[in-house]
Amino acid sequence: MGRYATKRLLQAIPILALVSLISFGIMKLVPGDPATVMAGPGANPADVENLRRTLGLDKPFLSQLVIFYVNLVQGDLGRSLMLGTPVTDAVIERTPATLAIAAYAMGLTVFFGLLAGVVAALRQNTWVDQIVSSIALIGVSLPNFWLGLVMIVLFSVQLGWLPTGGYVEFRTDPVGWLRTATMPALSLALLQIGLLARITRSTMLEVLRQDYIRTARAKGISEFRVIMRHAMANVMIPVVTVIGIILSVLISGSVVVETIFAIPGIGSLLGNAILRRDYPLIQGGLLFVATSLMVLNILIDLLYAYFDPRVRIDGSA
Amino acid sequence: MTTTGLGLRTAALAGTAMLLLTATASAQQAQQFRCPRVGGDLIFGLEARVPMLDQHVTPAGATRNVTMNIFDTLVTRDENMNPLLNLAQSVDISPDFKVYTFRIREGVTFHNGKTLTSADVLASFQRYQRVGFDRSILDVVDSMATPDANTFVVTLKESRPTFMEAVSSFTVPIVIIPSENANAPAQQLPMVGTGPFQFVEFVADSHIRIRRYENYRPDTRYTGLRGFGGYRQACVDTVTFRMLTEAGARTAALETGEIHGSEDVPTASQRRLAGNPNIRLSRLENFWLHITYPNVSVPPTDNLLVRQAIQAAMNMEEIMEASSDGAYRLNPSFQFPGQAYYTDAGGNLYNQRNQARARELLARSGYRGERVQLLTNREYPSMYNAALVMSEQLKAVGINAELLVLDWPAALQLSTTNAGWNFFFTGWTSVFAQGGAQSLRNLANPANVHKPPNNQTDPEFQQHFNAIASGTTLDERRAAFARAQARAFDQVLAIPMGVMPKVQAVRANVEGFEPYFAVRVSNVSIRP
Repeated sequence: MGRYATKRLLQAIPILALVSLISFGIMKLVPGDPATVMAGPGANPADVENLRRTLGLDKPFLSQLVIFYVNLVQGDLGRSLMLGTPVTDAVIERTPATLAIAAYAMGLTVFFGLLAGVVAALRQNTWVDQIVSSIALIGVSLPNFWLGLVMIVLFSVQLGWLPTGGYVEFRTDPVGWLRTATMPALSLALLQIGLLARITRSTMLEVLRQDYIRTARAKGISEFRVIMRHAMANVMIPVVTVIGIILSVLISGSVVVETIFAIPGIGSLLGNAILRRDYPLIQGGLLFVATSLMVLNILIDLLYAYFDPRVRIDGSA
Repeated sequence: MTTTGLGLRTAALAGTAMLLLTATASAQQAQQFRCPRVGGDLIFGLEARVPMLDQHVTPAGATRNVTMNIFDTLVTRDENMNPLLNLAQSVDISPDFKVYTFRIREGVTFHNGKTLTSADVLASFQRYQRVGFDRSILDVVDSMATPDANTFVVTLKESRPTFMEAVSSFTVPIVIIPSENANAPAQQLPMVGTGPFQFVEFVADSHIRIRRYENYRPDTRYTGLRGFGGYRQACVDTVTFRMLTEAGARTAALETGEIHGSEDVPTASQRRLAGNPNIRLSRLENFWLHITYPNVSVPPTDNLLVRQAIQAAMNMEEIMEASSDGAYRLNPSFQFPGQAYYTDAGGNLYNQRNQARARELLARSGYRGERVQLLTNREYPSMYNAALVMSEQLKAVGINAELLVLDWPAALQLSTTNAGWNFFFTGWTSVFAQGGAQSLRNLANPANVHKPPNNQTDPEFQQHFNAIASGTTLDERRAAFARAQARAFDQVLAIPMGVMPKVQAVRANVEGFEPYFAVRVSNVSIRP
């Protein structure tokens, strides 16, 4: 398994190099440059040109590309044009908030999504199933920015239970973290809970019709054991794949949620960088996201092999 | 003309449109501001992220919100946009308007404890010349000298009566920094100033915290706040600027009391908050001039008659209603009412709503249905809505109008070229607010946002614009401004659509807060 993981990580290097090249190229091709954005409308062209020189944007494309890669192999992603700080520092500073909220949202998704899906499947065509399926459908249909604002009105303005925004680090104040992270995590998770519940329900229904489940029941095994031991093991195979996709969606969905709840995470950093055409920050942020997703995919592959012994991680089945 | 005495100086400067307001004896007799109470952490919600804190480098209003409470300038502006002495104790201007001699206020210290001298002022100006965004305002400077620790002399290459207006501009102000920080690269300026608050921390995209500078000495020439200067005191212990870019979340935070103030309250929320006894709304009537300017290099807007037809067809009430949710004021001027340069010259061409005249001008122009592209964006809904309504008004008179919607950076970038668009939608605020030559500079050489052929603006407009800068009396400059504005309307170099206010809000227990072109937290206190 270790060899497999190492091999996958090594394979990731050229992919990441390609991602960085594409992100660099695309950002240069997209109209709008950071100096113009910083200068604002109606700026004196000489002032904009001065600013462009100050920011080092007057160099030719190829020369900027070479500088970027030379710095990259030395672990230097350059300096953010808008923050004036090293991109690496900015990304490292923002990562914990994004990952913590994504993990919190993932926990909520897995717990409630699986629970709702299993309960709906076990109570198929009953009022329980109807309610769970309806809630799941609503969850899938609601955009998270709308959900976030509604939650602010409900939980902050009306009930006064939670703060409207901001972020407290877990290590400094766990209760404060819980208070500030709950609404963002919920607004990220609700959509995914609905998705996971629907997939779990349909998979569970399919599994429950299998012969081996009937056999297990015929042997007099308790229903709880049939579900948890025999059915869930097979339900988890497609669910793990979906969970991998969900986690990537949770990370990418953080752009909107972090903006609404004023959380200094990777999402808001990247969104703002794109709006200001902060090339180094965009490239650094995209590299971070790409790396995270690649690591995630490798972990999912490993998990897949764990849940399904028929799958060999060396590629043979 | 060398001015020495205060009364003479004031008179002389008034004659040159620079009411360098020093309160003098009358101010000393009047009661100076005293904090009703001291202490507390004032939390203010900002509508935009602060991109950086190097005030020499960025024109971002979000940066000014913070830095104008930390730094001082030699000369700033009062509420009516007249230059106002700040760190300068006095200024003597030679009769030929070429030598400006500033006396520096004594006893002022930086947040690092060092006493301010003319060397620091010189170093600040030199850094601004090197990395300052608006460094072109110092192009006219021939030399700068510090004959003694409290004197700073600027000698210009040519006579420039409006030099004080230029150096007091707060769009990208020449904030005064300690000389030891003058070599700081762009964007890496240490936050050490002489203002009433000193820097504590900046967590990008989250918050900025400043605290009271205990050794700050208020400018006793004044009795209270005057623009960015005047008699300033830090009444609260700390101020936390939280970046809450989502308007709904920011308003909710104000309602719950998580923040004491909000930089901007959307029109839709104003009605609700107006009925909340815990919240006080404040309104800066003249904040944002909604404007569109043509590209006069491409057809059909290279044709003056087409531009005039478009101007005749426009109904500003409809446009502004859609842009501002009803919170607007029509303004037939490139200035705000009440300002020294305000005039309605050429205003007869504003808001004509005359479709018959538009059709007649179109017929005379030889217009044959060429596409008129209205370049706008969705990041600023007011600009998008203005473009949308204007396109319908143009279609109504037979113009083939079409929206070109890009994101803001792309739209801005395209607007700097002279192809691919016919009208660009934007807003002017701080530059425009500061009046005189500054507010029309975007239409003059070399800025020329309307992209004239060979980047040479209308010669007659440029002549009037030059006269604003060279007029030795305020009356001369006002007259030149009026001529320039009338010409801008006549040639349709830009079309002002209306003025939008800035509505801010604070909790009812916040005292002394007044809205301005940036958030001022001096003289603001919190009642328990």
